[in-house]
Amino acid sequence: MGRVSEASSFHAINHSVGKTKQRLENLQLKGSNLKRVQKPSDDPIGNVELLAIRSQEVDAKQYLRNVSYAKAQLTFTENAIEELTDILVKAKEIAIGQSSNLFGEDVRRSVAKEVQQLRKQALSISNRRLGNKYIFGGFKNLTKPFNANGTYNGDDNQTKLEVAKDFYVPVNFSGREVFFDKLSTSLDQSGPLDSTNLQQRPAVNTEDASIPFADEEPVIQRDPASLAGYVPKEKAPINKSIFQELETLNNALLTNNFEIIQDLLPNLDEGINRLIELRTKIGSTINSIDNAEQSIEKTKLLNAEYRTRIEDADVAELFTDLNRQQNVLNATYKSSAQLMNASLLDFIR
Amino acid sequence: MGADLFSIGRSSLRTSKRSLETTSHNIANSNTEGYSRQRITAESNTPIGEGDYVLGTGVNVRSVKRVHDRLVEKKLNSSLSQHKFNEERGYQLGRVEEIFNEINSDGLNKVLNRFFNSFRELSNQPENEVVRSMVRDNATLVVSDFKRISESITMVKESVDSKITASVDEINSMGGSIASLNKEIIRLENLGGETGDLRDQRDELVRNLSEYFTLQTYEDNQGQYIVNVVGVGSLVSGGTTTSLKAINTAGNNAQNEGRIEIYLDGKGNAPVTERLKAGTLGAMVKTRNEDIEDLRENLNTLAHGLVHTTNAIHRRGYTNDRLATDQQGNVIIPRNKKVTNINFFKEPLDVKNASEFISISDEVKEDLNNIATGLAPNSPGDNRIAIAISKLQHEKVLGGGTTTFEESYQKSVGKIGLATAKSKIDFEQSGGILAQAKSIKERISGVSIDEETANMVKYQHAYDASARMIKTADEMFDSVIGMMR
Repeated sequence: MGRVSEASSFHAINHSVGKTKQRLENLQLKGSNLKRVQKPSDDPIGNVELLAIRSQEVDAKQYLRNVSYAKAQLTFTENAIEELTDILVKAKEIAIGQSSNLFGEDVRRSVAKEVQQLRKQALSISNRRLGNKYIFGGFKNLTKPFNANGTYNGDDNQTKLEVAKDFYVPVNFSGREVFFDKLSTSLDQSGPLDSTNLQQRPAVNTEDASIPFADEEPVIQRDPASLAGYVPKEKAPINKSIFQELETLNNALLTNNFEIIQDLLPNLDEGINRLIELRTKIGSTINSIDNAEQSIEKTKLLNAEYRTRIEDADVAELFTDLNRQQNVLNATYKSSAQLMNASLLDFIR
Repeated sequence: MGADLFSIGRSSLRTSKRSLETTSHNIANSNTEGYSRQRITAESNTPIGEGDYVLGTGVNVRSVKRVHDRLVEKKLNSSLSQHKFNEERGYQLGRVEEIFNEINSDGLNKVLNRFFNSFRELSNQPENEVVRSMVRDNATLVVSDFKRISESITMVKESVDSKITASVDEINSMGGSIASLNKEIIRLENLGGETGDLRDQRDELVRNLSEYFTLQTYEDNQGQYIVNVVGVGSLVSGGTTTSLKAINTAGNNAQNEGRIEIYLDGKGNAPVTERLKAGTLGAMVKTRNEDIEDLRENLNTLAHGLVHTTNAIHRRGYTNDRLATDQQGNVIIPRNKKVTNINFFKEPLDVKNASEFISISDEVKEDLNNIATGLAPNSPGDNRIAIAISKLQHEKVLGGGTTTFEESYQKSVGKIGLATAKSKIDFEQSGGILAQAKSIKERISGVSIDEETANMVKYQHAYDASARMIKTADEMFDSVIGMMR
């Protein structure tokens, strides 16, 4: 027969009431904000996954910002190039119309005025800005890329944006590429850091803190051409620019020289083709951005679902548990009361 | 013959009274912590032989003994140390865990992530002043969160240190009490006195002491009661004690960041801190020396790595300043102003304390234009530095090229979460074991009011009967005397 003392039953009651109450308290806490995980130790693995997912969510948000930014810039550029194409097409129509000696000098002079107007339009397009940035200036996008003579002051660099992890798209075109001649680098798909050595760094060695990155620091020289990764393209061969072509057309009209006008036709054709090619490239770039955007959205959705599964409490289960634990507590109280209130003394008179 | 009746009656009265007294003492102490119920050992007196008869001569009380089981007591003490260990460890780890709890608030993971994403935004518009200030604000948040974590960890460590010091004082005073009880028990026992209550008190002290670390107690062959701290040495030996000392390793130099170590007085110069097993002291030492140190180291590595990799890239970039060029178009670097080779964060001296001393460089603090975005000078549209820094987020630069910054931080959080979760489970388990040990002890030694009530009735009856016996003897005497008249 087990002996029962006052203290032993007191401990038993204390222990069982304490345990039940603790469980109820935990459930209540979960019920109060419907979160399954309150602190890391509630689900250590889940918590770490949660942190990673949250990071990915913020990343995705930023990438989507980059996407809309890149798209806005590319669409704006495309519109500009489209207008430019229209100008060249008009110039070509004029050139075809004026390539014979059918019209007189007066007509040519007035047509020449129209050509000058076209040149002015082309110049305004070349200095077009999105916000405060010149879209055809390369990296030098805060200074006017073309002066009134049509001389190019920008450079041949392309700004690239990361629209999805490790997926870069160019968002601007240098003035040379659009107004002068085809460049071999146009719309290349390489990353902006490929030709730099910015990403080639050894892992941080914390054991030996005395030699941090001082060793691999580049020697800064005055000549920017010698900067690692900075490849100057200023000296690329220059064909006649759109401005020069329009200028030539204008002069030919004024001097009544229709042979030059005839010679000009293939040049104009070439220019139109180049612009159309650029627009096609922009279109396909926007397409690939759209694809990237869709896949980001899809991942976002999956992450959100995964996140709820880790983070949120199962409401039905939670409240069933809560109810059950409440009942357990009541039962514990009832049985404890009976144990505590019974005494032999009540029966002895 | 009649005189015998009286003396038997008297012995019976006395024994019943003693029994009732003991019952009353038990009831009085039914709620006294550590009290063991006492029982009277009564035995019949030596009988007298009278011819062929053997006559009983009554009863006497041989001793009053406490009901006690030494093995149960031992088991209870060891499960108490284990339980206290888990409880304290759970408590301390819970405090550390709270520092890294990002579930309902922002923590380092989030601000680090925002820091990199602000550079990603900067790569969209490298020439935009507003985005630059956003970058700097986010970097400030990273810096302050590193500091917050580092300071909070130090706070936990310091509170552990002061708790260790307070515990050592308490342990020493308990050791003293045990020693004086030892002396008193020996003295009383030499006089033939009862020592059940004193032994209860001593057991209770030993049990309180078990909350701090695992103990071993025994009586040596000279009857001296010895309290041994497992892994360290004897704390109490008979009437003498060896005290513990809590000493700050930093000494008097306030500059040093030291910690409290425990020494056993007069037993060598080596601290015994890490040799303590289980108990609250064992838990505090383990949490402080292992978990907290580990976290601090990871955090410092993280801060140091972030500063160095960001700076290494940032130094190669050019500021937003417009630079003059010579005839060949080469950039002229001005003498009076730094336009490249600028640190983004201040370079810390070493990995140690990197998370405490991390801060943004003066150049960037002074002028937003000093945040470099381009790899080439005079190129406001060049975003390559900004991209390269944002790419650090996904680059495995820590742990010898195995983890990214965020992963490394997440790993630390995961580790502390797992340790806390484990200590919680351990706590529940050892709580069960302790409750069981307690209930076994209380079943054996605890006072049962019902039992005492029954005993009370029983002894009262015996007392009544003895009194009646004496009255009967008296009447018998009277009859005899009446006959003589």
